[in-house]
Order: sequence, then C-alpha cells, then structure tokens
Amino acid sequence: MTDALLQVDDLRVTFAVGGREVRAVDGISFTVSPGATLAIIGESGSGKTVSCRAIMGLLPTGTAIGGSARLRGTELLGLSDAELRRYRGSDLAMVFQDPARSLNPTMRVGLQITEAITTHRATRGGRQSKREAQQQAIELLRLVRIPAAERRFHEYPHQLSGGMRQRVMIAMALACRPKLLIADEATTALDVTTQAQIMELLLELQEELGMALIMISHDLGLAASYADEVIVMYAGKIVEQAPAAGLFGAGGAVRMRYTRALLDAIPHLERPAHTLLPVVTGRPPDPTALPPGCSFAPRCQYAEDDCRAKVPALAEHVPGHRWACWHPCENGAAPHD
Amino acid sequence: MALVQQIQLQQGEPGARGRARRVTGSPALRMVGRRLLAVIPVLIGVSFLTFAIMSTLPNNTAQAILGLSASPAAVAQLNHSLGLDRPFWVQYWSWLINVLHGNFGTAVQGQSVNHELAIYVPTTLALLVYALVVSLALAIIVATLAARRPNGIADRINLTVSMLGLSTAPYAFAFLLIIIFAVKLGWFPVLSGPVTGPASFFRNLTLPAASIGFGLFAIYSRLLRADLVEQMQREDYIVTAKAKGVAPWRVLIRHALRNSLFNLITVIALNLGGLVGAVAIIETVFQVQGIGNDLITGISNHDLPLIQGITLVFALVTVAGNLLADILYAVLDPRIRYGSSTS
Amino acid sequence: MAAPLPDVTLLGALPPLPSLVNARRLRAQRLGRALRLWVPAGILILMLAMCFVLPLVASLPSPTKGDIIVNNEPPFSPGHWLGTDMQGVDIFSKLVYGGQVAFEIGAAVTAIGIAIGGTLGIIAGYFGGSVDAVISRVLDILIAFPALVLALVIAQGLGGSEIHVIWALSVFGIPAVGRVTRGATLTIRGLPFMVAAKLSGTRGWRIIARHVVPNIIPTIVTFSLLGVGIVIILEGALDFLGYGIPPPTASWGNMISNGQQILSAQPEYVLIPSIALLVTVASLNMLGDALRERWSTQ
Ligand SMILES: Nc1ncnc2c1ncn2[C@@H]1O[C@H](COP(=O)(O)OP(=O)(O)O)[C@@H](O)[C@H]1O
Ligand SMILES: [Mg+2]
Repeated sequence: MTDALLQVDDLRVTFAVGGREVRAVDGISFTVSPGATLAIIGESGSGKTVSCRAIMGLLPTGTAIGGSARLRGTELLGLSDAELRRYRGSDLAMVFQDPARSLNPTMRVGLQITEAITTHRATRGGRQSKREAQQQAIELLRLVRIPAAERRFHEYPHQLSGGMRQRVMIAMALACRPKLLIADEATTALDVTTQAQIMELLLELQEELGMALIMISHDLGLAASYADEVIVMYAGKIVEQAPAAGLFGAGGAVRMRYTRALLDAIPHLERPAHTLLPVVTGRPPDPTALPPGCSFAPRCQYAEDDCRAKVPALAEHVPGHRWACWHPCENGAAPHD
Repeated sequence: MALVQQIQLQQGEPGARGRARRVTGSPALRMVGRRLLAVIPVLIGVSFLTFAIMSTLPNNTAQAILGLSASPAAVAQLNHSLGLDRPFWVQYWSWLINVLHGNFGTAVQGQSVNHELAIYVPTTLALLVYALVVSLALAIIVATLAARRPNGIADRINLTVSMLGLSTAPYAFAFLLIIIFAVKLGWFPVLSGPVTGPASFFRNLTLPAASIGFGLFAIYSRLLRADLVEQMQREDYIVTAKAKGVAPWRVLIRHALRNSLFNLITVIALNLGGLVGAVAIIETVFQVQGIGNDLITGISNHDLPLIQGITLVFALVTVAGNLLADILYAVLDPRIRYGSSTS
Repeated sequence: MAAPLPDVTLLGALPPLPSLVNARRLRAQRLGRALRLWVPAGILILMLAMCFVLPLVASLPSPTKGDIIVNNEPPFSPGHWLGTDMQGVDIFSKLVYGGQVAFEIGAAVTAIGIAIGGTLGIIAGYFGGSVDAVISRVLDILIAFPALVLALVIAQGLGGSEIHVIWALSVFGIPAVGRVTRGATLTIRGLPFMVAAKLSGTRGWRIIARHVVPNIIPTIVTFSLLGVGIVIILEGALDFLGYGIPPPTASWGNMISNGQQILSAQPEYVLIPSIALLVTVASLNMLGDALRERWSTQ
C-alpha cells in the first residue's frame, strides 16, 4: 500500500488530567487513498476529534501520542511543530464543527483567508503581494459559492450566517489546495437544509480539486450516503471497518452490535409512522475507567460473560470487513428478529 | 486595594466578557450616550455619600481651626460663618450649585479649592498615567512571553513575581525601593520635589510610580496570562489558526492577544477606583505634591470642601476611565461597533 | 478503496496496551497539587500558632513597654532574637501581638462583609429585577467611591481603636463581597437543578438555603481568603497614616510607620513587619488559588 495518501498505524493518544490517565484514542489504524472519502462515525466522546487533531499536531502540548501517521510516507508524529507546520494548512487541512466559534470574531474574514494563503507562500511559488493574496482570497470565496465575495471579504464573522461562516472555513481550508481535507462534524452545528448544502459543496469541491476527504460525524446516515469507506469508533477504538457498500448496500451487512444499534437509531421512511425510534441507551464509558472486557458490553443487550471479561480484537473476518465483537450479528440481520 | 476587582473577575463575576455581551446589540454611539447619562447619578451619589458621612461624624472643623483653647462661643461663631450649623442637605445643595458653577468652595485654611486642585491634579494625573502605562506595557510583554509556554521558565518567574506583587503592601514596597534606590544607591530622592519638566518628572515620580505600578503589573500580568493561556487551550479559532499552519507566536499575538486586550481594558477601568487609595498612600510616603497627599491632609483637618473637591475628582477619574473603556471596547470590538445582535 | 489487511487473523483477546503516560509525571502532578495547597496552609497555621498560641505558652517580653537601656539591639541579640526598637521594646513580641491585631481585623471585616454583603448579593442575584437594580446601584456607588478615603474619614471621625478600624474597613468589605456573591448567585440561578427546584414549587427562602448557599460557598471561601489578605494590607495602611490602632499598641502598620523615621539607619525596623505582612498575604492568596483550582476541576 505504498500509494496510500495517509497511513495511520496503532495511533494512541493519552491525556494526563489531574493525576489520572485518559485514554482518548486506543490503538487505531486506517488508510486513506488519494481522492477517497473515509467516514469516521461514533458517539460524541469516542475519540474522533482527538484522532484527527493528533494527526494534524493540534493537541495541547504534553499530550502523549503513540503509533504512526504517515503522509505519503513521511512520518508526521514526532515531527517538531515547525516541521509539521509545512504540511498543516498546505497538504492537510481541517474544517471544524462550530463555524461560529472557529472564526476569530475580531478579524475580518478576508484577512483570515489571506493569512492561510500567505503563511505558506514561502513554500508555494515565492512571495505574493498583498493584493494578489486578496485576489486569491476573493476567488476562494467564489469557489465556495459565496455571493458578493468582494463585499464579504471585508466583513466580520458575526455578520455572516452559520452556513456562510462554514463556507468561509472551507475556503480557508482550501487556500493551499490540500491533498487531504478533514471535516470534523462540519455540518453538525448547522440546520438541516444548510447541512445538505455544505455536504454537497464539500463533495463537489472534492471532485473538482481531486482531494481526499475524511468525514467525521456521529450520523451514520451521512456516512452511508457519501463515503467510500466507513470506520465506526467506540471508546477510543475502532469497532467495525468496511467499505460503505459492504455495510449498507443491498449485499451489505453490519456485524458489530454497536453499529447495528446506531443504524437502528436512524429514522427510516419505511418504518411505520409514530413508532418509537430505538436509541442506544446508556452513555459511553468513562475514559479514565474503561471496563475490562469489550467497552460496549455494559450497554449491549447481547453481552455475555466473555464480553465482560476479554477485549475482542479487531480482525478481518470477511475480506475488506473488520469488526471487534465476540457475538456479532448474523449477516447483518436486525437484532429483533 | 486594587485587588478586589481582579479577584471578582477571576471568581467568575460576569464582568469582563459579560460586559461585552451586555453592551452588544446597541450601536456604539447610543451606547456611549447612555453611559454618559449613567455617570451623573454615580457622581451625585459619591458626593452625597461623602457629605452624609462627614456630617454624621463628630464635627470639629472650627475647633481644628481655632485651636483647643478657643471658647465655645468663638467655635459656634465660626461654625455659623462657615455655614456648618445648617442642616446637611442644605449644605450639600449649596455645594452642588456652586460646583455646577465651577466653584469648589474655600478650604479650611482659607485657600480656594479650585486653586488647590489646579496645582495638584496635574501631578497626580502624571503619576497615575506613568504607573499605568509602564505597568501595562510590561505586563503585556511578560504575560505574552509567559503564555508562549505555560509552566515554562518564563511563566514560572512571572507567576512568582506577580504573586509577590499581589501580596505586597504598596507602602512596604515603597520603603524597600527607598532603602535601595534612594538611600543606598542615591539614584532618586527620598522625598519627591515639585515636578517642573521631563527630567524632574522622572527623578521625582519614578519611585512612587514603581510603588503603585508593582501591584498593577501583578494584576494585569496574571489576568492577561490566564486569559491568553485559556484562549490558546480552549478557543476554536486558535485551533483554526494553528491548523492553517500559522506559527505559534503569531497565533498568540495576532489572534489571542487582541482578544485578551478587551478583557484587560475592563479590568483597568474597574481598577481605577481602588487605585486612588494606593495613590493617596504612596503620595504621602514620598510627599508627592498631588491631590492624594492633599486629601490625607484634608482628612486630618476635617476639611470638608477640600475632601469633597478631591473625592469628586477621583470619582470623575474612575468614571471617565470606565467610559473610556467602553468607548475603546466599541472601537476595537467589531461586534459592538457594528451593533449586531449575533455574537 | 480497500483497507490494508493487517496480520491480525487470530481471534484472541487483546492484551491491554502499555500506558503512554509516564507514571512519574502523574505522581509529580499529584504532588504539585498537594504542595500548592498544603504549603501555604501550613505557613498560615504556623503564623496563627505564633500569634495566638505562643503568647499563652511562653512568656514573651511586653510588646509595648521596653527597657530603654537595651534599645536598638540588632537582630539575634541575647533575649531579643529579632532585636529591640528605639524604646527598647522587643520586636518579636511586637510582631506577635501585631499579628493578633492583623488576623482579628482581617477575620472580623471579612465576616461582616459576608454577613451583610453576602446577604445583599444573594438577594440581588436571586430575585433580580428592581431589587437587583437598587442593590447593584448602591454597590456600584460604594465601589466607585475610593474605599480607602471613606475608611479614613470614618476612622478619623470615630477615633482610633480596633473596633473602629473594623467598622471603617467594612465599608470596603461589604460591597466587594456583595458583588462577588451576586455574580456567583447569578451564575447558578440558570442551572437546571435551580429551575427544577423552582418548578417544583419550593419556597424562595428554602431554595436559597438548600441550593444557593451551598453552591456559592466555594466562591465565597476563596474570595474571603484573598479578602482577609487585602484587609490586612489596608489595616496596615490606616495605621501607617495614623488613623488605625493608636500607637503604643503593637500593630504591623505602626511598626512600619515608626521604622520609617530611621529608615536609613535601621532598615530592618521596616523590613521585618513588611516581610511578615508579605508572607501572610501571599499564603492567603496562594491558598485561595489552590482551593479554586481544586473546586474548579471538580
Ligand atoms: N485536552 C483534553 N484533555 C483531556 N481529555 C480530553 C481532551 N480532549 C479530549 N479529551 C477526552 O478524549 C475523549 C475523546 O474526545 P473527542 O475526540 O473530542 O470525542 P469526539 O468523538 O466526540 O470527537 C473524550 O472523553 C474527551 O473527554
Ligand atoms: Mg468531536
């Protein structure tokens, strides 16, 4: 797999908080090929954001990070901040969850975009004048379909709507034409119509610019409709990993009980009206005190004694399809049958 | 004395950030107008309070002027001619009318309070501005260096120095400065002479300004450092800037510092009221010829017109400082400048 | 796009991964937290014991009357380990009895501040509306007013004595505690359990006693510690300006004020009480910081 754009191996992230150890990410591995779309799914707190920030080098100093993350063969973990900055914003870019808080409130949006352009100008075709950078920024605003881009360039974040702000964030991320864009719940904070628009925009731009996309979400439905490959995370671990078609398509089958529970929580059109939506009951475990066996066992209605005693390994049971479960669903059958 | 407000802000009083939110939603000009109107009741309240307290306390002004051997009749006579035997609201009213006409009255020793203020106010203002500007500039530099690496060496030194500054009585620190810089090294005079030009300004006001400024520096640098570190760790727009590949010190200065300054401005303004106490003591220690020193003399003479005049000036400084902070806020923070309702 | 096939084919239990965090670092973190709390607490306990217990168990020389023959003894003289002052009074005794005054006044002013200012702050924060407007305006004026000036005027009018100093400094303590309490009350007023308590029809005063007071106690305690420090500094200022404790009585402010007269010859007369003041106030501040750190991470 030498043609992989990003290869992550056994990534682990641990925080030390108040004398206790928080294992936020506990040994995850995955690969992203150029131009592909990978979806990472999981409840809030499962370690999705931390994984991506670890790759980008955006975690607080003092965080313990282990494993490896290679961008086209270059190891990113362990690089100094100065070395990592060459990739950050140029080859790797990120769009965040909350556009209202992710833009500096006291800086004009145009300036925030030109900052992204000029930061990497030394490595990208020499110096540019301020005017050129401004021209590029306005073009970026047009690229993300912001009307009246010249005027918006001079406005402050609070003068824009939520969807507009997220478009600005995307423009900023695209400033240096990254090879890989990480969208960390980029649509979660937006209303439903805007969500769809932003999602469409991201996929169009991905096509247009030929970049790879890691799409983080807690919404399995989004992943099902947009991703090539899906990873399901729970309590810092990958619990199931398969091509989207292998999970949701006609011949697909969900195996891991947690994925099944997430899938059942999505409203279906064919479900009779007014039936109660099944939800995943309970809360994710405390990352400072993980249970000894499978982390999902305390919430799993199919858990047996071995689940509570031993951690199931993530193994490739079917070609291309990996899961970590002692008692998986039989060929994706709904559990209630 | 100036520390209270700092603590209140640390304690989560919805001060700094809350204030920004409160004024959000009204265009800047209207906001300034409203603030100006709110100033008047505070000034009236402060002067009324001084009058009320002075009049409930045993009044021995006439006795103080005439000496202990004066006959009760002579004291009563003088009290009458000074108007001190009238009910206090009558006295207050006539004082207020006079002040509105620009006349602060006559002090016990016979000199005009207007004249007294004209001589002493500039020195005190110079001292205040000197202390404020230098401590603020140092605090911004030091806090930024400290926030670059929390728990690093610069940060630890800063935390220790500012804890000292926070815990040192300004008058005790003044004596330490006198022992070292005036007695041992002889760089500055022990007692400050009149300020006549730039050279005498530095010679006479540097030690007093340092005595006041140490505490201010401690407050400002602690607050700024805490705010910067919190922003660098918590705020999403900082992560955005880092994700763009912007260098850490650039993130700190362009993105975090700018936003932290808003909070600092509020603290400075809130602090001005408490600062007055420190100014009065330090002016007494160094015998600076300013209104703080004059006020202490006035209090010992039970000199109501003088106390009233100076208190009003101090209250004005406080209120003007707060107003200035609000205006600066409006000028610097686009959310207020553009009068938007979204945050 | 196919995922790379890892070598994991055996279906076994996963061994626990080794910890990435250095155990030494975790221990150092815990130790640092404990030290930040117990070092200032220990110093304060020592200071309190020195001021209040020592005079009971040991016979100290008088803090007011001295023997003029042994005046101006330097520190570490026999019988006077911190030396004597111009009148031959033992400096250590003065420090001990002056410390009593400082702690008493600090505690009393803070207690008055909590009783009056705290009540006003809770009422303003809890009931809001016009009640809040009136109380806040009064507190605003008191805070805009140069507190030390007011304290001086009152102390001068009442005449010097410990109880008068306490009243004078309360002018400063009451609005400060009032504002802090109001802020804390406002913060918890919107929390879900408060809304729940109100919806369940509990009476206002019961909610205040059961829910508001217990929740603002941490804020008040940390603020009080810092407040005691500020009051001690202010008390020294009153003494220093001649409106505090009348002179023959020992107090740290009086010691500094007296020492000022022979500053160049005997700087230690000013330095010794100043250091005592600094150590006390710094310990109070650091203890407050440490408690806030504990309570805010809970
Ligand atoms: N800076 C940090 N310090 C300590 N714990 C953290 C930190 N950041 C995240 N965590 C913890 O790591 C876990 C994973 O968080 P995160 O990756 O943000 O979840 P999500 O899947 O919702 O993005 C959570 O339990 C969170 O509490
Ligand atoms: Mg997240």
